[in-house]
Amino acid sequence: MTRTITVNHLARVEGHGGIKVVLDGDQVTTVDFDVFEGIRLLEGLVRGRSAEDVTGIVSRICAICSHGHSITSLLALETALEVQVTPQTRKLRDLAYQGANIESHALHVFALALPDLVGHPSVISLAAVNPEAVALALRLKKLGNSIQEVMGGRAVHPVNYVIGGFGKVPSVEELLGLKKQIAAGLEDCGRALEILKSIQIPEFVNEPIKCAALVPEDEAFFFGKTVQVCDAEKTIDLSVSAYRALTNEYCVPHSHAKRSTHEGRSYMVGALPRLTINGGRIGGMARKAWEEIRLSLPSTNIVMNNMAQAVEMIFSVERAMALVDELLAAGLAVEAPAPYKIRAGRGAAATEVPRGILFYEYELDGEGRIAAADVITPTAQNLDHAEDQMRAAVQQGARAGASEDVLRHRLEIVARAYDPCISCSVHVIRR
Amino acid sequence: MKPRIGIFGLSGCWGEQIVILNCEDRLLDLVGALDIVDFLGGSSINDKEGPLAIAFVEGSVANEREEKALQRIRERAGLLVACGTCACFGGVAAMDAAVSREEVIRQVYGDGGPSAGWDIRPHRPLSDFVKVDFSLRGCPMEKSEFLLAAASLLNGDVPQLPAYPVCLECKMNENDCLLISRGLPCAGPVTTAGCGARCPGYNVVCIGCRGPVEESNLSSIEKIFTQKEVSELDVRRKLRTFAAPALDRNAHGGLA
Repeated sequence: MTRTITVNHLARVEGHGGIKVVLDGDQVTTVDFDVFEGIRLLEGLVRGRSAEDVTGIVSRICAICSHGHSITSLLALETALEVQVTPQTRKLRDLAYQGANIESHALHVFALALPDLVGHPSVISLAAVNPEAVALALRLKKLGNSIQEVMGGRAVHPVNYVIGGFGKVPSVEELLGLKKQIAAGLEDCGRALEILKSIQIPEFVNEPIKCAALVPEDEAFFFGKTVQVCDAEKTIDLSVSAYRALTNEYCVPHSHAKRSTHEGRSYMVGALPRLTINGGRIGGMARKAWEEIRLSLPSTNIVMNNMAQAVEMIFSVERAMALVDELLAAGLAVEAPAPYKIRAGRGAAATEVPRGILFYEYELDGEGRIAAADVITPTAQNLDHAEDQMRAAVQQGARAGASEDVLRHRLEIVARAYDPCISCSVHVIRR
Repeated sequence: MKPRIGIFGLSGCWGEQIVILNCEDRLLDLVGALDIVDFLGGSSINDKEGPLAIAFVEGSVANEREEKALQRIRERAGLLVACGTCACFGGVAAMDAAVSREEVIRQVYGDGGPSAGWDIRPHRPLSDFVKVDFSLRGCPMEKSEFLLAAASLLNGDVPQLPAYPVCLECKMNENDCLLISRGLPCAGPVTTAGCGARCPGYNVVCIGCRGPVEESNLSSIEKIFTQKEVSELDVRRKLRTFAAPALDRNAHGGLA
């Protein structure tokens, strides 16, 4: 006898998506993670736009990752136009990424995923019984936004990032203001850790996770030119400029988003893969948190991604403090953006945004217009992996006799574990 | 009884819902003063049927499913507020409506891509389908304008928002004029204020994300831009990034 379990409209994620799983007896036959967010086709619509205009448009692919989209777009343009930015610009961009990571992870871990883990339908009902926890999460989220506002001029859809650097370099006073907030944020991280320690991560799914993450070249944890892909069998390094060998995009009929597999198998990007591959670089309070919440990597429990995000949030607060100190110690130079000449060229770039690797590639014509553009978002890469994990979760649950309601709730928990950004995933660019 | 509120997203980037969540200092007050009964982005239990005092709707209408969802929201809502430039003007996905979406799709998804049966059209603003009672411009809308509008509407007031161009705010901030003194294509003269002239404050030109100001002289700004060695095609595109449907109809920002 076949039966179908559906989640019509997934709540507490960005964008519109649903899930359909078909079982024959206790054998899963179909899993569709259906993305029905309206197609925006920005990727095609930017063709013909000038290099200086394009970043302000592609930022609109996603609000919560708008700083990541902007800066990755600029890195691809700077590669194509052969622009060299200063070490100060690199540090300021790194700081912006810490802000984005703090904001995004605080929102997801505490407001979107935590209600699942403590049995609430929403953070609103959670606020009624545990206002301190919610206020704490909001303070950390605000810290991330403050950093993004100082760097980018606005928390959503930044305006201050331009080819070659910044429209206006943040002032010493602004950085001193951030330093104070970051110091308070470090204390809040300590309190957050106490809450996190009390959370029991459910263990209903046990399935290997193939990971992909950028390998940092230096202290800039979210930037790199090499992607590492690893599972239990092997580890492969790929150059970012050859990213198509990783992403191998294809389309499926049930979804408006494109999919990715590597060597025929789905892979995951995000906090859990980053810590699995680059965890050796994590020290300080984040390392202490890692140990105290008993995060064990590599993991076969996808729900642990929420805990990896929590560790990364603490890492980012600490890293933000280190960056502000370095910038202040070096003395902030009021630099104009690095100059460049319009030329034909091609450039690819990738960074680690909160949900995983974001790839950008542009081809520019001789007048500096976009001849072709390609954007591959983390959620687009994760969709196949999410379906595989949903299959495993339902399969394992059904064999253990779980009810349909339990299976449906587990599907939602698995989907939300990825912190999917469905708005992002439907806006894939392709030549 | 607290007023029943719905927060909805059609096709877009989730920017306005993020802006609402970014009112960190006021969020617990908001939750205390309002009964947020339908907010899929924030809660997995929602009342999808009952009446709403105010529906805040972000995003543009991309397909029939969204058209129907919007009509249903309109039926339930006392007041419907269009939040953000996508809802007010169509936003970036409404660009180049004359270009065939089938052709753009072929470029984006390749030949192996979709897909007969996909419902794909240029995006449209909410006011093309339902009566909009109030519009909050901006990509994204400003936190301050959202809070002001929510407070005013709930108290039976009409929120007073700027109806003058970004230029005016820029002058009040005593910024160096990017258009006149630096010769850059700044859309400040034809764009509605309310952002505090944020971009020019960062030495970056206004790109018109708040949509056209009433009675703006589009042909004049196009002439000025063209004199700044920007080609006519580029000028058209620059000015039509966020509000193409309104500009193409020549309806200069006649919003609710």
